[in-house]
This record gives sequence, structure tokens and C-alpha cells, in this order.
Amino acid sequence: MSPKHENAWGAPVPGEDEPLDARDVAVLGRLGRAVATVDPVPEGLVERSLFAMTLARLEAEVMELQQIEAPVGSVRGDAPPLEARTITFTHERLTVMIALSTDDDGTHVRLDGWVAPAATLTVELRQPGGERTTTADDDGRFAFTAVDRGPTSLLVRLPDGGDVTVATPVIEL
Amino acid sequence: MSMQIPPAASSGRAVGSEVPGRGPGFSTSPHEVRTAMTRAAEEPLGGTPDADESLGDRAARAVLEFRQGRTDALTDLVREATPLLWHTVRAQGVDRDVADDVVQSTWAALVRHADTIAEPKAVLKWLLVTARRAAWETVRKGRADLRRRTELPDDVTEGAAALPDSRPGPEAEVLTDERDRILWSSLRRLPERCQELLRLVSLADRPDYKAISASIGMPVGSIGATRGRCLAKLRAVLTEQGEASWT
Repeated sequence: MSPKHENAWGAPVPGEDEPLDARDVAVLGRLGRAVATVDPVPEGLVERSLFAMTLARLEAEVMELQQIEAPVGSVRGDAPPLEARTITFTHERLTVMIALSTDDDGTHVRLDGWVAPAATLTVELRQPGGERTTTADDDGRFAFTAVDRGPTSLLVRLPDGGDVTVATPVIEL
Repeated sequence: MSMQIPPAASSGRAVGSEVPGRGPGFSTSPHEVRTAMTRAAEEPLGGTPDADESLGDRAARAVLEFRQGRTDALTDLVREATPLLWHTVRAQGVDRDVADDVVQSTWAALVRHADTIAEPKAVLKWLLVTARRAAWETVRKGRADLRRRTELPDDVTEGAAALPDSRPGPEAEVLTDERDRILWSSLRRLPERCQELLRLVSLADRPDYKAISASIGMPVGSIGATRGRCLAKLRAVLTEQGEASWT
């Protein structure tokens, strides 16, 4: 296209047709470092993504992260304290809410969950190191204790859903 | 009353993350951490890897290899391209928690669609466009939710503007170098799409500028072959600020 045309980007700017020079390279280099400093990629996002890709090959339907509630007064950051962290995931046929807390041993995580509508569903906890399963009770409650920290996803098999499985996005415990 | 399951041993399931499909999952173990550059040098794959291979080329190769059941190149691609996806999503005004989710979902979508992407050369653009659309979608939903919760039509515009937003003013406090601060405030004076374009290309190499421009709907050839309008504008603002030369 000819940059001489007036378009959505406004009037031509002097120098826009010139080749990139050393100053351009220096400006972009400095800008790249500033971008990475001002808004750094969260720690562990690559690992969570890789784990999400592994889960994607299970062909589960992915739930939507609806909201994360951190304790009042806490500072939102990449690694909010586990205590009282509550996360809600939604899917057109199912909602899963989980509450995370530090387990009795002080290092592992306790995960208490509820599925709605309540049903005795099989719930699978997946981490890169392995998987565990439990069953939600009549009220839709389930729990995993002594869970390792790290990328984690829950898979729920829907009732009368045949092979339909829904998975939460990968979260970092 | 909750049901508790003791640690893995009694779960009744084999421990291990082997999944059905194309072999084991993507390794997330730290020893897999390698830069794309060292990988390209030490691991000739898929014919004739080129030292000048661009991110777009590596993305194409990663998907082709993945279709054949090899995941190493795709793992490297995730490490290399996640920052671009992150900043693409953040540029749409998505807060950090949700952006984390959107980036993951974009990579997962690539796995699901790996067999149907007709033009491997367009994988990088596909990733950027997918991330950008998913980000818009979350912003749109966030605004709809806010509208429902507040039920005060007059507040909608104000509320939407108050959503978490990637345009840092105060965040730029982390920039301690005066020139960085001048650069950042100069950038913020440009049209938003110019800001988005320049942030993304600043994280990329020149051969990939075209895919980045295309993914955000900028005129083809606006940057890379030539300086382009956005970078020319940034330079003009910097010159006004008295920053004549940074070389």
C-alpha cells in the first residue's frame, strides 16, 4: 500500500518511508526492555500453557474462569496467598467453585470444591506429576487434601454426558 | 460434608500424566528450558533449519512436527512466543488474572486446531489473532457483567472505563531510568493501535513485524520494510522531548 494515502492512521508522517536505522533499532530495543519491565509475563505462565496443551489433547471442553476472589485487603499479584482464595469456573452445563487453603502440614494445599447443579460426579485432579480422582457427594461437594503446588486442572465428567468431560483452565496452586 | 482423598497412593488411579492421543504430554520440566537459538543450532529437524529462521518459520515448523507427533519444537515455541501473546492480550485491557487464562487457552486452541490450520506459514498470525479475539471477548463479557451488576445505565461508560486496563500510568513507576520514562510517556501519546503495534514489535525480530502488523489490522508493510508511521510518530515525539539520539 502507499503510505501517502490518508487512512485510519491519519496523515503521513515524515520519515515513515525510510528504512529502519540504528536509532529505530535502539528505540525498539529500549522499548522492549521497558515493556517487559512494566508488565512482566507472569511466572509459570509457560508451564501452565504447556500443561493446558497436554490437557487439550484429552479433548475436554474447557470451562471459563469466572472470577477469582482474594481475601479482602490482600494485594492482587501473581501469587496471591492461598488462604481463602476462591475461584469459580463456569460451563454451560456446570459451575465449579473451589476454595484453596494451606493444608495441615503447612506446605501442601487443600482444595474444597462444589459442583452445581449438585450431582455425584467424578472429579479428577490433574497435575504434571499425576492425577487423582474423587467423587462429589449428593450436595456436589468434594475435596482433595495434601495437593502439591504447581499447575493444576480439574476435570469433571458430566452426568449422562456420555464422554463429555469439562476441564478448568490451568491454575497455579 | 466433604469427601477426602488421601495422597495419591489410594486414589486407585495410576500416577502419571500419560494421555491418550499422540504420546506423552508437553514436558514442563526445567531441564527442557532452552532458548530457541540454541535449539536451532543443536537440533536440526525437518530438513534444513536456517540460522535466520524467524519466529513465524519456527511456528510453522512446530505445527508441522506436532502433526507428526513430535512436540519439542512446539514446546520451544510456547517458551518463545508466550510474551508476544501475553502483551497482545494485555493490550486489549484484560487484567492479569484473566490474561493468564486467555494465553493458556490460545495455546490449547492451537493444539486442538493443529490439524486444520491450512497454511502453516500463518501460524504466528493465527496465534496473535486468536489471542486478540479471545481478549476482546473477555472484555466484552466483563462489561456486560458489570452492566448487569450495577443496573445503573448511567454508570456503564464510566464503569467500563474503570475496568482493569493495560495502559499503565502509575505502573511506569517501575522504570527507574529517566530515558525509559521519557520513552514510555512518549509512547503513551500515540494512538492506541500504534502503542499496541510498537509494544509487540519491540519484543520481536524484524522478519516477524509483518505477521504482527497483519494480526492487528495495520496496513501491510507499515513497519519492517520501512520505518512505518507508528515508529516515525514515536520518533517525532521523542525528538520533541529532546531525545535526539540513543544509538
